[in-house]
Amino acid sequence: MLLLTSTRDALLGPLQSVSGIVEKRHTLPILSNVLLEKQGDMLTLLATDIEIQIKTSATGVGGGEDTAITVGAKKLQDILRALPDSADITLTLEDKRLTVKAGRSRFQLQTLPAADYPRLTPPEDQGVRIRVPQKVFKHQLAQVSYSMAQQDIRYYLNGLLMMVAGNALRMVATDGHRLAFAESQLEGEYDKAEVILPRKTVMELGRQLGDTDEPLEITLAGNQVVFRFGPIELISKLIDGKFPDYERVIPQHHPKQLAFARQPLHAALSRVAILTNDKFRGVRVVLTEGSLKIISTNAEQEEAQEELEIDYQGEGLDIGFNVTYLLDVLNNTSTEEIIVHLNDSNSSALFTLPGNDSFKYVVMPMRI
Amino acid sequence: MGEASVVAPDADAGPRHDAVSAVRKIIHCDCDCFYAAIEMRDDPALRGRPLAVGGRAETRGVVATCNYEARAYGVHSAMSSARALRLCPQLILLPPDFERYRAASRQILDIYRDYTALVEPLSLDEAYLDVSGVERCRGSATLMAAEIRGRIYEEVGITASAGIAPNKFIAKVASDWNKPDGQFVVRPEEVDAFVAALPVGKLFGVGKVTAARMSRLGIESCGDLRSWSLADLTHRFGSFGARLYRLCRGIDDRPVAPERPRRSLSVETTYASDLPNVAACVQALTPLIEEFGGRFARLRQPPSINKVFVKIRFDDFSHTTAECSASGPDERLWRNLLDTAVNRKSRGVRLIGVGVRFAEPEPSCDAHQASLFPAEG
Repeated sequence: MLLLTSTRDALLGPLQSVSGIVEKRHTLPILSNVLLEKQGDMLTLLATDIEIQIKTSATGVGGGEDTAITVGAKKLQDILRALPDSADITLTLEDKRLTVKAGRSRFQLQTLPAADYPRLTPPEDQGVRIRVPQKVFKHQLAQVSYSMAQQDIRYYLNGLLMMVAGNALRMVATDGHRLAFAESQLEGEYDKAEVILPRKTVMELGRQLGDTDEPLEITLAGNQVVFRFGPIELISKLIDGKFPDYERVIPQHHPKQLAFARQPLHAALSRVAILTNDKFRGVRVVLTEGSLKIISTNAEQEEAQEELEIDYQGEGLDIGFNVTYLLDVLNNTSTEEIIVHLNDSNSSALFTLPGNDSFKYVVMPMRI
Repeated sequence: MGEASVVAPDADAGPRHDAVSAVRKIIHCDCDCFYAAIEMRDDPALRGRPLAVGGRAETRGVVATCNYEARAYGVHSAMSSARALRLCPQLILLPPDFERYRAASRQILDIYRDYTALVEPLSLDEAYLDVSGVERCRGSATLMAAEIRGRIYEEVGITASAGIAPNKFIAKVASDWNKPDGQFVVRPEEVDAFVAALPVGKLFGVGKVTAARMSRLGIESCGDLRSWSLADLTHRFGSFGARLYRLCRGIDDRPVAPERPRRSLSVETTYASDLPNVAACVQALTPLIEEFGGRFARLRQPPSINKVFVKIRFDDFSHTTAECSASGPDERLWRNLLDTAVNRKSRGVRLIGVGVRFAEPEPSCDAHQASLFPAEG
């Protein structure tokens, strides 16, 4: 039975949009498959890991009968990738096996019935619905997502707090040692809502959203959130938990304020980081009038030192930080300048952008 | 082949002469029926009466520790609580209170660390100490062990036993010799005779099944084992053969390693007769998971888990491991993995192991890094 004919690229693009969330090893075999649903000249592709589901469609696929089937996502993707760019692909279904044909290449793949494929149903459209340009959301995610925890026992930290209040969209991520906060303005006013997006959903959005003004529509309802952009619909479950009170840990009145050119500070930290090791990433930061020294030493008694001239008058400070946390914020901001607010050697450091209240990064010190 | 077997033993025995040229002094310290001792310390009314600490019989619990009065009735650790109560109906069965045990354990570790930094804890109540070169007590490990036991009695209020020997293996065997509240020394010149007389069951890694197999081969003591060449032992027992060859000669070069991060925790059992099919394996899983639960609860600071796994050894001695991501021990996942692993071969199953792997501690997660939310840990 002929399923469809298509060019390679018309099929591969949509497949790659959904296959990123397919788990390589899962206790449920069908979850390594992608669902293909053919209707008229439209092919719907859907993949899920039960926590997230992504659906998209390929148009302009020709011929064949309407049907639905599931097949190994990774295998199909590898086959399509390995075929020439311009190849014409034919998919046929015979005896529960899917045949992929292109020129003289032919692959027969095992399938599982579409009826057995688990699906998340989009919630009834009752919750909060937000529209925001894709690039705004994408940029905001990039400002905070690197601060999420990975596999922390405090499971609610393995995600990102997203809040809507009035016309503000806020995002917060923290791993318990550092915290990133970013805010953007929405068009229109919204009721207050806050949810924790799972890490995997955040990463997937970061990968798939475009740098465009095209809209992203977000619907919050119950324990699910739906993101619609372009042909893609991403449904994700939410993390059920209480996110820590982030406002309490963002310092308000740190007395020492230092303005740095971001690039030279980044370069100096990267060089000092060379003599730290994976286990101990601590660097000493020594502030005196007019100068900031960054020093690292390692177990072999080697030492790196950098000195930056700064415009600072006031009392000195000797404080330690995990250099990775400092590099993270510098890597994920793009302004020329960055402002560092300090207090004493037991207090956090606050990073902000000049003339801008919409971004804050807090990092706790290390004892060195 | 013939030549290799002649050469190999000497090559293998090499480290005895160079790597560990200086004689070491190792103490193995082990509290006497630790959990039960803490309970009796805190409630003197329990003294002199048969007492066990463990899970309730109704929940298919097992005895973790019992005192000597209970042992007189045949009760022992790892026995099901139901059976223990049948053997000794007046047995007092208490649920474990790990908070108090851990507090005592910290006190005991502090005592050990007064003598040497080379302390390797094996559990809450058991540790190896390397006191080679320690000057206290005129450098006598025997006197140090006596002093440590005295301090545990004075400061913690329970008794401990100790074994003193040139290596970990013999020290551990020796601590059992004069238990409870006693100690036993095996001097370097006595090692040879001491080990020769040891039943093979005392060797670390020789359980009931292996001991029965050895018995069929006419091996009862370590002395019997010495007549076997390294090649023969390796042939019979695989890589374990080389360890046996050394252990039965009293050779054990393992250093006393102060705590290193644990990478995994597992329990496994070799079955007296092979399990024929998945159903039998699934049945065998429940007691394993219970045992795992006990071990897991005894970890002092369980690190965060990132995987669970099931290990299978088939009757042809081939083995396979099935694992998947998980954030904690999970009976359902173990059951699925068991299914996966057993179905990889259609053979009888000789051994099942279940366990968890721990996440690599994040580089930033050390004690030096201050936390944003200290109250939540």
